[in-house]
Amino acid sequence: MSDIAASTFGDGVYFDGRVSTRRRVRVILTSSGLQIEDGDGRLVENWPYDQIESLNAPESVLRLGRRYNVRLERLEIADDTLAAAIGDRALQLDRSGRLHRRQQLAVVIWSLLATASLVALAWFGVPALATRVTPYVPVAVERKIGTAVDPQIRASLDTKHAGAAFECAPGGDKPAAHAALAQLVRKLENAASLDVPLSVAVVHRPESNAFAIPGGHIFVFEGLIDKASSADELAGVLAHEIGHVAHRDGTRAILQQAGLSFLFGMMLGDFVGGGAVIVAARAVLKSSYSREQEAAADAYGVALMRKAGGDPRALGTLLGKIGGATEPGMKILRDHPDTNARIAAINRLSLAAFPSVPFLPNEDWASLRGICKG
Amino acid sequence: MSSVADLGTGQRFLGMRRDYSRLLSRGAVLLLLTLGIYRFWLMTDVRRFLWCHTEIDGETLEYLGSPFELLLGFLIALTVLVPIYGLLFLSMLELGPVGELSGPLGFLGLAFLWQYALYRARRYRLSRTVYRGLRFSQTGSPALYSIRALLWWALTILTLGLAYPFQLARVERYKMRHTFYGTQVGRFDGAGWRLFLRGFPLWLLIVAPIVLAIGSFAAVDWDALGKAVGQGGEDVMGRVEGASPGLGGAIVLALLMLGLSVAMGALLYPVFQTIVTRWWLSGLRFGALTVRSKLRIRDVYRAYMRFLWYAIVFSIVLSLLTVIVAVGFAAISTKIPGFTDVGGAALALGGYVVAALGFSTIYRATVLLSFWQLGLESIQLSGAEMLDKVAASVRSGSPFGEGLADALNVGGY
Repeated sequence: MSDIAASTFGDGVYFDGRVSTRRRVRVILTSSGLQIEDGDGRLVENWPYDQIESLNAPESVLRLGRRYNVRLERLEIADDTLAAAIGDRALQLDRSGRLHRRQQLAVVIWSLLATASLVALAWFGVPALATRVTPYVPVAVERKIGTAVDPQIRASLDTKHAGAAFECAPGGDKPAAHAALAQLVRKLENAASLDVPLSVAVVHRPESNAFAIPGGHIFVFEGLIDKASSADELAGVLAHEIGHVAHRDGTRAILQQAGLSFLFGMMLGDFVGGGAVIVAARAVLKSSYSREQEAAADAYGVALMRKAGGDPRALGTLLGKIGGATEPGMKILRDHPDTNARIAAINRLSLAAFPSVPFLPNEDWASLRGICKG
Repeated sequence: MSSVADLGTGQRFLGMRRDYSRLLSRGAVLLLLTLGIYRFWLMTDVRRFLWCHTEIDGETLEYLGSPFELLLGFLIALTVLVPIYGLLFLSMLELGPVGELSGPLGFLGLAFLWQYALYRARRYRLSRTVYRGLRFSQTGSPALYSIRALLWWALTILTLGLAYPFQLARVERYKMRHTFYGTQVGRFDGAGWRLFLRGFPLWLLIVAPIVLAIGSFAAVDWDALGKAVGQGGEDVMGRVEGASPGLGGAIVLALLMLGLSVAMGALLYPVFQTIVTRWWLSGLRFGALTVRSKLRIRDVYRAYMRFLWYAIVFSIVLSLLTVIVAVGFAAISTKIPGFTDVGGAALALGGYVVAALGFSTIYRATVLLSFWQLGLESIQLSGAEMLDKVAASVRSGSPFGEGLADALNVGGY
């Protein structure tokens, strides 16, 4: 063991952890531990090998401390040979960095697995949970949510008509049009027998779109009425939206989004502007589950139209007209599954039964069409 | 026993830029793969690197914190924040005064927690910093600090930034008055008016165009304009133009001036940062120890140029990758119906995260590292003899503040 004998002592710098004074010391490696002597050869400290630990230091220095010590005693060794000799005697110092790398690998692997299980929870768990919880949300709460969300939706939709009226509201110079709309909604509502009262608002937007929010609020865009060529088509879309109301899809979506933002918002923390990531993550997860809900609302719409005495295929006809021309950023059409497949499904469900009488008398439909004009 | 004061060789940064970049880019990949869970480990590695390569008066700093402490702090912060977020979410659904107040109140509450967290996080970092066998520590009340800091922020915003130098001076004075190295208390001697005089020309260059732009609107006939907008219906803009012919010109001037102001801000930001950093460093005191910084503006600009260069290279690589992925994506989506929705959104999300992570990593490896190094090496100490005879104290900080800061998105070094 001549190599060890050759490097059993050397120089170091010692701090006693009581004062910041720097002391030059001589370090002697004995069989059981590390002796620290001052310039006069007096013993300052004696550290057993199994009690020393290596601490954060630049590459050129081995910085040692003593474990379980309240005082932060430090011994710094710049001499490479002496540092290597200490490493040979105290293996826990991990001079090669093998232990450190193994620990890091464990962290990485377990983080990856945790991520996978988190994503799985977000993908399967949160929607399933939201679906289970939704039926237990009281109708009163749902209506409250709807009343709170309604002005926010209006504010976010009303971008162009600064100053002008946004809703084609009743009480203006179109009493006939509103009476016709009310009649159409009443026919559907009577057939549907919902827990919540419906409130349908026609708004000034050029897109062909309509959507429902929790609590029975339904928004119909002016562009959709322009595209509809019969009262049955408009009624078909409304029946589809009533399907969302009956299935409480809006409430479920809110529960789901709340769950996801809790899950990801908290996990992602400060890693590159969490906010935008959460929003995007929600969009990804949302588009994957809206499919079945849309199909279910279609089926509901068909059944409701049959019950109310309308043409159940009219929803499909209108979808065919607006399916191609989707406006970017609008919810209903982007989220909807492949239009042709939907129309086929609607026609299949409609069977052969459709009435010869239009949903509204022709003159009522004519005045309803002009609800936003002038 | 021999005390050696002759080793004092000034301030140096011993780390290699290449090693730091490798550490950060490896960390960025792991962050991406682990949805950010790795950040506690990355943050600790970054600090260990910066601390141990920071040599002050011949001795390097030592970082004593561990990633598990950060994780613990995060969990504690989560415990505090989850009910607060839950309450906020619920109260927003309430109608009437509760619902209306919940927004502003929630904002105030989170702002309070934000400053609170910053102060506690500073305490944690200081208490995990060891120099010559002695810890740093911080006392003082985080709640009081938070209230002070928020009041100062309000004043700064109300004065369009003119109060900022005085805010910095007061807030820094509070922090340093409660900062200890061993038993030696710190002090901050930077004067607000000094920073004000240095920064005022910058403020003029940035704010003057905005004032000019606002002034140009004075020529507009507001009554006629109000009527024109109020009438509603189609062609609002046409009537607006008829009612006040000066408006178009004023809008164009305002946009030009706003652009000028933003451009000035971007160009002069490094100057501002240099002035503030130099002033801040030069105000630090520990007993007889005084610090003087000679940070140079051109060095800081060089750091920003390096950032721009790497950012451009990264953008080119990223766009090439995007093209390749988009081509592959188009090929797949023709085969699988319905792939476009989910795949497209996932692609956009992935692209966003990669870009954001890439730029922030480049920024850390260039500008932030340079600031650390330049700031450190610009320092001249006098009265450094005191560093040899400071006594230890017993105080330690909890990682709670750090976790809170992390959960509230206010990270740092």
